[in-house]
Amino acid sequence: MSPNRPPFSPSRRHILRGMLGGAAVTVGLPSLGLFAPRSARAQESAFPTRFCLFFWGNGMLPDRWIPATTGLDWTLSEQLLPLADHQADLTLVTGHEVRIPNRIAHFTGPAGLLSGRPGRGDDDGATFAGPSLDQRIAQAIGGDTPFRSLEVGVQPGCNGMSFNGPDSRNPPISDPIALYERMFGATFRAPGEGGAVDPRLGLRRSVLDAVMAEVSDLERRVGVEDRARLDQHLTSVRELEKRIARLEEDPADYAACTRPASPTLPSDTSARPSMEARARIVAELSAMAMACDLTRVTSIWYSDPLNNVLYPDATAGHHQLTHDEPGDQPQVHEIVLSAMRSFADLLTALKAIPEGDGTLLDHMALLATTDVSFGRTHQIDEFPMLLAGRAGGRLTVAGHVRAATPDNASRVPLTLLRALGVTAGSYGEDAAFTDSGLSEVET
Amino acid sequence: MRSLLSTACLGAALLASCAEEPVGLTLDDLAAPSDWPGAPAPPAVLRRITQAQYENVLTDLFGPDLVVPTLVEPDLRIGGLVAVGASAGTFGPRGVESAESAAFAIAKQIVEDPALRAVLPACDLASEACLRDHLVQVGRRLYRAPLTEDQTARVLAVARQAGAALGPEAGLEFGLAMLLQSPAFLFRAELGTDGEAGERALTGLGLASRLSFFLWNSGPDDALLDAAEAGALDTREGLFDHAARMLDDPRARRGIRAFFEDQLELQKLEELKKDPLIFERYTPLLAQDAREETLALLEYMVLDADTDFRDVMTTRETFLSPYLASVYGVPSPTTEGFAQVELPASLGRSGLLGHASILSLHAHAVSSSATLRGKFVRTALLCQVIPAPPVNVDTSIPEPSGNTPTLRDRVAEHLEEPSCAGCHQLTDPIGLGLENFDGMGVWRDLDNSVTIDASGEIDGVAFERPAELSRAIRDHPNFSPCLVQTMVRYATGAIEPTEAEAALDLLSDRFAEPHGHRARTLILELVMSPMFRRVGAPE
Repeated sequence: MSPNRPPFSPSRRHILRGMLGGAAVTVGLPSLGLFAPRSARAQESAFPTRFCLFFWGNGMLPDRWIPATTGLDWTLSEQLLPLADHQADLTLVTGHEVRIPNRIAHFTGPAGLLSGRPGRGDDDGATFAGPSLDQRIAQAIGGDTPFRSLEVGVQPGCNGMSFNGPDSRNPPISDPIALYERMFGATFRAPGEGGAVDPRLGLRRSVLDAVMAEVSDLERRVGVEDRARLDQHLTSVRELEKRIARLEEDPADYAACTRPASPTLPSDTSARPSMEARARIVAELSAMAMACDLTRVTSIWYSDPLNNVLYPDATAGHHQLTHDEPGDQPQVHEIVLSAMRSFADLLTALKAIPEGDGTLLDHMALLATTDVSFGRTHQIDEFPMLLAGRAGGRLTVAGHVRAATPDNASRVPLTLLRALGVTAGSYGEDAAFTDSGLSEVET
Repeated sequence: MRSLLSTACLGAALLASCAEEPVGLTLDDLAAPSDWPGAPAPPAVLRRITQAQYENVLTDLFGPDLVVPTLVEPDLRIGGLVAVGASAGTFGPRGVESAESAAFAIAKQIVEDPALRAVLPACDLASEACLRDHLVQVGRRLYRAPLTEDQTARVLAVARQAGAALGPEAGLEFGLAMLLQSPAFLFRAELGTDGEAGERALTGLGLASRLSFFLWNSGPDDALLDAAEAGALDTREGLFDHAARMLDDPRARRGIRAFFEDQLELQKLEELKKDPLIFERYTPLLAQDAREETLALLEYMVLDADTDFRDVMTTRETFLSPYLASVYGVPSPTTEGFAQVELPASLGRSGLLGHASILSLHAHAVSSSATLRGKFVRTALLCQVIPAPPVNVDTSIPEPSGNTPTLRDRVAEHLEEPSCAGCHQLTDPIGLGLENFDGMGVWRDLDNSVTIDASGEIDGVAFERPAELSRAIRDHPNFSPCLVQTMVRYATGAIEPTEAEAALDLLSDRFAEPHGHRARTLILELVMSPMFRRVGAPE
């Protein structure tokens, strides 16, 4: 692949056709415009703070998840052993529960933790009642990058749980090639790569202006709920317009940003995906997307709640195993280890990006979590939450933080919102409400 | 009783396809307007067009050679139907982004490919009038209504700007791309007359839209838009004629398939995985063939056989490919593609519940499932509500062993333990009646070397084997009202269970008598009912 983006050239064919048409046609030659400087806010700090959610489905095994010791010199539990290389960057939070009535198995947990509210609807149409944590953060810090947020899947075809609002989900890209194309395809320019502004960009924004006018027209004819849906649409169109405007600016100039090589797909058998190999590709592309400041908010959906992925050598799909595997569930255990190995690989990829005196991880906050604690009984007490990264100094590492008596899991997302610079007085509704973050990790 | 065999074919002189039919239904065979109980229509809501509708509208207009990219915004399913989820769905940031790139990908093809452009006026795009003609013509089809002056001015302004910068063809390209991203295209606004208080009739154009999405899963064609604009759909006769014409059009086959695909969630077969170590013969090809079998049979039952629809549960007629035939253990009717066959009674396989599609969808990746199959019958075929399992209980069942060789033995606890039995008694006995079909639908007599006992009872009706279970479901008092209810929800997109219970009852009653459970007649009866033609004011 050529490292340089070819400069725009007006299509010869357009000019030819115009002349052959016979009429007096003025074929406007596009002006070869210069890129605008990056917007002031985007340049503000040397290294922006980024957020990443890592989510795996179907929970863990509490007896093998919760470490025996607490504090900074904690000993990793059996299920956290794959994270040994990263222990110094991790805070494990245990003894916290999602305080939302547990009515929809595999859904209440993430709805409660990630939106602070009960989910709505039945199994099929279940939706968060408000934006998910990643989107609340993206609303605050996603506006200055080409991609407001990035949703990626490891499990093929997964749905993720990134919600803009009710009934509006951001589907993850779970095809690594498509992910590469989206982030590093035609619109990508590495720092220093030349070229001229594509005149089509400005025209695309004109199209979107016209689309927004049509949305407003329609809004006048509909009821309250439809107006909210159309507002959502309008917001989405506006965001796309902003994103296009970003493409007319100089790219972020970060030394670590380079154009990555196109990924080579692991050879899956279609029924048993190579989850860890896929996760490594996703981790490296996501890390580079953040290193290039293409986005500041990423959610990585290793697997969905309720997923029935068939792992190598497993005798049944993951979800079925969580319910039917007898004894201490060695296969379920192996699957949790697999997810943790992938989370470790993600941290390794983030640490491989130098930024200033440290690495990308130092300028990030990560939350790794799932949908239940013990999958077999769909419990949402002892909710698994792992934090990593120092958020540019706004977070510290506290090792294993264990609540002496069951505490409110909402404290963790509240702390994350604040660490990412979102103004938030509280988090969660009703019993899930809290106005105090997790003081152990706040600086 | 009014005869269904009436040979009078309304408007036959005008409707060639109708004239070919030996028998035809007339408006007199349907309920009179005064027969319908007055019931408030649910408030009008916007419906997002689905992925399939997006593609159908565009290929109907420009031909099958147009490559239509998939919109990233996933269809939303509510209450079991994507058609209903469309009443709540939106376009998020990713959806809008993909709608934009799809719009340009489509516009570019149209501009560059003379074959695709053949449907558009032959004129010089450099002239303003020509550009306008192009955009107004495409816009009317996409918006399902003539463009308003504002809309015309808006799209022309965009096109002119692009034309001035990059040439006349870019003018067309950007204009088309704008139309393709407009909410007037992406959302169906079947709202009745604006500003009218209370319940109102759909406008002619609103009816045309609702009718064509219901019957064709696509937008109206020019003939239907012309008729709507001329007021032809405002009369019962006009609406009936067009509905009948549309049911005779090949596009109705696609529409019927779309309905059942939605009801039975058959698109899930695309993603369905089975453990290859256990189900060696389960491949994506089998899933594809199994889906086709089911859709072909349903299409045949409604549009070709046009007999008692309930027989879809019991018929031994079906459509098989060579691969599917080998999985079912019957001689293939054909060396390639699908052909209609009658399965031998000795096979034990009949009706929908003998289809590999349904049997493999409602099973685990490594085994069958009594609960999933029972739940499917209860919810999708009988419209009953099965509560989700309580979240804080251990739902595991024992592994196969000497004491519990068959699934019936293994689920015994679910059927006895009071906290489980409440729901599992509703589902598992049905699923156990299908245990002769393994997790991908292959017949078996034994499970772990023990003879399968597929007997049971459903709501007071005993059965011994799968075919008898299917017969009991066919004759279940909920079966045909459930089809009626599902079809009404599909056609109207109402999210809340409709308040028009009396109207639903009348429709179900008439479906049985006088219509003899003919589904094609049910469709026409529904179209002519106030449930289809009226909406409440947007709230």
